[in-house]
Amino acid sequence: MTTDDVVTVAPGPKPARFQVHERSKQRGTPATWVRRGGLTALLFALPILFIFGVFSWWPIVSAFVMSLQKTNLTDAPVWVGLDNFRAVFADPLLPTVIKNTAWFAVLALIFGYPVPLIGAVLMSELRRRKGLYSVLAYLPVVVPPVVAVLLWKFFYDPRPEGVFNTVLGWVGLGPYPWLADSAWAMPSLVLEATWAAAGGTVIIYLAALISVPAELYDAAEVDGASVLRKVWHVTIPQLRGVLFITLILQIIGTAQVFLEPFLFTNGGPNHATETIMLHVYNLAFANLGNNFGQATALSLLLAAFLAVMSLVYFRLTRSWSQS
Amino acid sequence: MRFNRTTALVMAGTLSLGLLAACSDSDDDTTPEASGSASAPAGTDEPVTIKVAGLLPTADDAAKQQLADRVASFEDKYPNITVEPEDYEWKNSTFTTQLAGGTLPNVFEIPLTDGKTLIENGQLADIDQYVKELPYGNQFNPKLLANGQGSDGKIYAVPAKSIYAVALHYNRKLFTQAGLDPDKPPTTWDEVRAYAKQIHDKTKVAGYATMALDASGGWQLAAGANSRGGVIETSGGDGKYTATLNDPAVKAHLEWLKALRWEDNSLLPRADLGWGEINAAFGGGEVAMYTSGSDVYNALVESNGVTKDWGYGLTAIPTDNNGGALTGGTLAAVTKDSTDAQKAAAVKWIDWWYLSKLQDQDQAIADAKTRAEADPPQAVGTPVLPIFSEENYQQSQAWIQDYINVPLADMKGYTDVMFTQNLVPEASASVQDLYNALFPVVQAVISEKNADVDKLLDEANTTGQAAIDAAAK
Amino acid sequence: MTTIDRDTPPPALPGAMPGSAAAAAPSASLAAIVRRRRRSTVDNPDRGALSSADWRRPSVKHTWRSMHFLLLVLLLVWCLGPLLLLGKFAFTPTQDILTAPMAVFPNGPTMHNVDQAWNRYHIGQFFMNTVWFALGAWFTQILVATTGGFVLSVLRPRWAKVLNWAVLATLFVPAVVLLIPLYKIIVHPPVGDSLVNNFFAVWLPAGASAFNVVLVARFFDSLPREIFEAARVDGAGPFRLFWHIVLPMSKPIIGVVSVFAVIASWKDFLWPFLVLKDDSVKPLSVYLQSMANVDKGTLMAALAISTLIPITMFLVFQRMFLRGAGLGGAVKG
Repeated sequence: MTTDDVVTVAPGPKPARFQVHERSKQRGTPATWVRRGGLTALLFALPILFIFGVFSWWPIVSAFVMSLQKTNLTDAPVWVGLDNFRAVFADPLLPTVIKNTAWFAVLALIFGYPVPLIGAVLMSELRRRKGLYSVLAYLPVVVPPVVAVLLWKFFYDPRPEGVFNTVLGWVGLGPYPWLADSAWAMPSLVLEATWAAAGGTVIIYLAALISVPAELYDAAEVDGASVLRKVWHVTIPQLRGVLFITLILQIIGTAQVFLEPFLFTNGGPNHATETIMLHVYNLAFANLGNNFGQATALSLLLAAFLAVMSLVYFRLTRSWSQS
Repeated sequence: MRFNRTTALVMAGTLSLGLLAACSDSDDDTTPEASGSASAPAGTDEPVTIKVAGLLPTADDAAKQQLADRVASFEDKYPNITVEPEDYEWKNSTFTTQLAGGTLPNVFEIPLTDGKTLIENGQLADIDQYVKELPYGNQFNPKLLANGQGSDGKIYAVPAKSIYAVALHYNRKLFTQAGLDPDKPPTTWDEVRAYAKQIHDKTKVAGYATMALDASGGWQLAAGANSRGGVIETSGGDGKYTATLNDPAVKAHLEWLKALRWEDNSLLPRADLGWGEINAAFGGGEVAMYTSGSDVYNALVESNGVTKDWGYGLTAIPTDNNGGALTGGTLAAVTKDSTDAQKAAAVKWIDWWYLSKLQDQDQAIADAKTRAEADPPQAVGTPVLPIFSEENYQQSQAWIQDYINVPLADMKGYTDVMFTQNLVPEASASVQDLYNALFPVVQAVISEKNADVDKLLDEANTTGQAAIDAAAK
Repeated sequence: MTTIDRDTPPPALPGAMPGSAAAAAPSASLAAIVRRRRRSTVDNPDRGALSSADWRRPSVKHTWRSMHFLLLVLLLVWCLGPLLLLGKFAFTPTQDILTAPMAVFPNGPTMHNVDQAWNRYHIGQFFMNTVWFALGAWFTQILVATTGGFVLSVLRPRWAKVLNWAVLATLFVPAVVLLIPLYKIIVHPPVGDSLVNNFFAVWLPAGASAFNVVLVARFFDSLPREIFEAARVDGAGPFRLFWHIVLPMSKPIIGVVSVFAVIASWKDFLWPFLVLKDDSVKPLSVYLQSMANVDKGTLMAALAISTLIPITMFLVFQRMFLRGAGLGGAVKG
């Protein structure tokens, strides 16, 4: 079973709906509603209505409600108006966590944006063994994230006998403190995150590269373009869309980063790696916090920012898919 | 009732009350039968199931077997009670989730210092009548018990295990390798520094390490400050508390750590060590000395592969300026949503698992025997501070003398002074908040060469005071 | 997809997964794959920026050959290297791991670590928990996506528009918002007791993936209506249509959703960490986190064992994985 057949999907006008019986003009009574398949449709919709209702739509509404309440989930909640939002903005850690999250995002772009692109461009020119390269590149993506973090945490052992310090010692570098240094900690986290995810980006780029029309290269060759010019003037512009989209997706993803700071450093040293998501977690679930209201308020504010990013993204994909 | 500095010595001191009672204890009225029939307000025979805090999630199979044996004999004795032990590790970062999520077992453990806060938040069950019905229900060291009592004077949690003073743990083999005499552990912080440097210079292994992760980092910084004669909180006596996180002793300890880290390079450069992590690093031979509760040996055996011949050494925390050893401990509490029958059963279990071995010879021996005969053996006889009285403690140690398998000779540095050293209780109000304000400073000192200790401490103090004020409202 | 899909907290909510907003415009993606198929069927060979003529030029050939070789070395060191190290650690005595991590078995290999991980820490039990977690989450996702897609694409009752809109809207809600309210619902469900430590706490929310629903609905859209019409004429009702015609024709998309679903469960951490705390339900990812402080050799063996299955699955089903990832990318693009 492969996804080959997916290709049979063609964009176009929506085909007609399936009708159990011929549509009649008569106005609906419950009986005709059932006869026309109204009940069947409802039956089929039950799973989606139930699951989305309870685990998606209701929690979304609930988030807004909780952001206006003081609650510890056991006692009856108390309405506090906008106090939770005021607390968010009065929080002395707020600038730190925003700055850290932005720093993570920037570093993730520096580490994880150009390199997969270069790798994918190189790989797309392979005539043999493309599969081997793809498998190698994708391998870290299938490693469970907790495994990857715990393994890398050991690699980052700051003693001279640490794995990375040993390797760097061969070329006379180090030992470096890695996670134990405020300045080094965040790049260390991002390095692991990049290791774990870059393979996915490579595969996305590869898929996009394959769809660059061959005619464009043919045309460029007619004009006598060199290899580099072809890459620069044909390949990269053709990837414009996918590049921008991975950019936005990466911002949306990194804005919610939790696992690495939580498992590597729990936000340390001295809050140097405490991200917004980790702060939300800490407010709600750690340190005898039970501050679910403020945590929800902060998460809503983050969500508002991300929704804007999603909208930008949505509009772009829409416009591109129509072009 | 405040557990303040002036009462510090009391914990180690003998309570005449406890002493007198301890004598009468060994008579018939403490037999398990007695304690069983004593607390049975609501239908003794109705079947009831309780979940109880068990071992660390990574505990040895031997430890699990030992617990299972104790559970089986408990259920033999109380056929109507079913006990389901769950793995349990109190962690600052997850405890609240469990509390809010209702996932705590009926019987669970909390740090001594959190009792008051949880009681005031109404998050612990009132177990007053059941505890008082225990034959020794009125013999607890009152200063200790106060940590589990509400402002209404009722008992919501009882001191249960591991009442400890912070002590210095060291690796005797590394001492020897570095040319130090393992029988002469350091007694001042200057000596600790010199030893750490010598160990690092000679063996390349870090001489010293400190916890820095989460509240445990603040806890150990407070312990360091206490040992240098400082405190992190003072009481105005009128129920008002003042954070003193910028106390000179706190600063002195940070500067000392800084010197180890950046001048001597003898401090393990890790800012992500919590209670469990530092045990693992010590057990793995990555560090020669660290401070933690005097009972840590139990955990080192249970989870980190340390054995009697491993080369473990224990000595008192160095003190100066009339400083003392920070004390602490564990309370056992019962979840709020337990039924009356569960509460009664829960207190029976607390008696069985935690306390009866201190009060009853048969129980003491049964417990010690299963621990000592486990494969690999679990620690028996680790020095801890008495829950009841020093006499009671000596008595219970004497009962199990044949089973003691901890290297007591290598713990003399601590055991020689454990009842005479100056003891300092933990701060009273918003302790976890104070620790949470402090640990980033510890991390900063480890991770930044030019960390501005004064500025960081002032900021931490503001945060800490704000937490105290918020809690007082 | 760098660092994106991994941390989205609530369980496999690809719906809230940033990547999924993409599903709103899958036509672009699918079109991309269409183009790919089309091109490979045209006589013009699959080519990139380099033409056959380019490849015949020695300078180009040698430059790219050496770049490809360099890339291979980098991939081996960077991607495979850490995993090989992990494999080595699993059989290296703890003391050697701590003192000479890069040396190859200075004191010989050992089975002790694996023995400890398996027999003392019972990795197998947590492995099975993960399997159950993944199976249930897979089932819910398939059930919701196929029935939901069937309603939205094939049956299309009058209220389908509203439903479609309500499902699409959740794509714009990032996972972070759902974390706490969802937790509240699990702790205090509208009916019954707390679902904490119950697999349903991860199975049910997993189904609320708008990404899956949209993907499946778009696929159903593409199925030829004539077949439905013929079935109707033959007297097939909606249930037979669904079970005997639509589902069998949808194997490819179900395969894709299945891969996504299983991988997501395998990787999930924060949500199970919050709601699956008991040993009897705890998945590997949560248990490994609590093992962080055990003996290093044992930990490494446990990590290696936990990695073995996903890697084996990947190597066996690599085409499906890579196509899935490519599709995800294409969908995103």
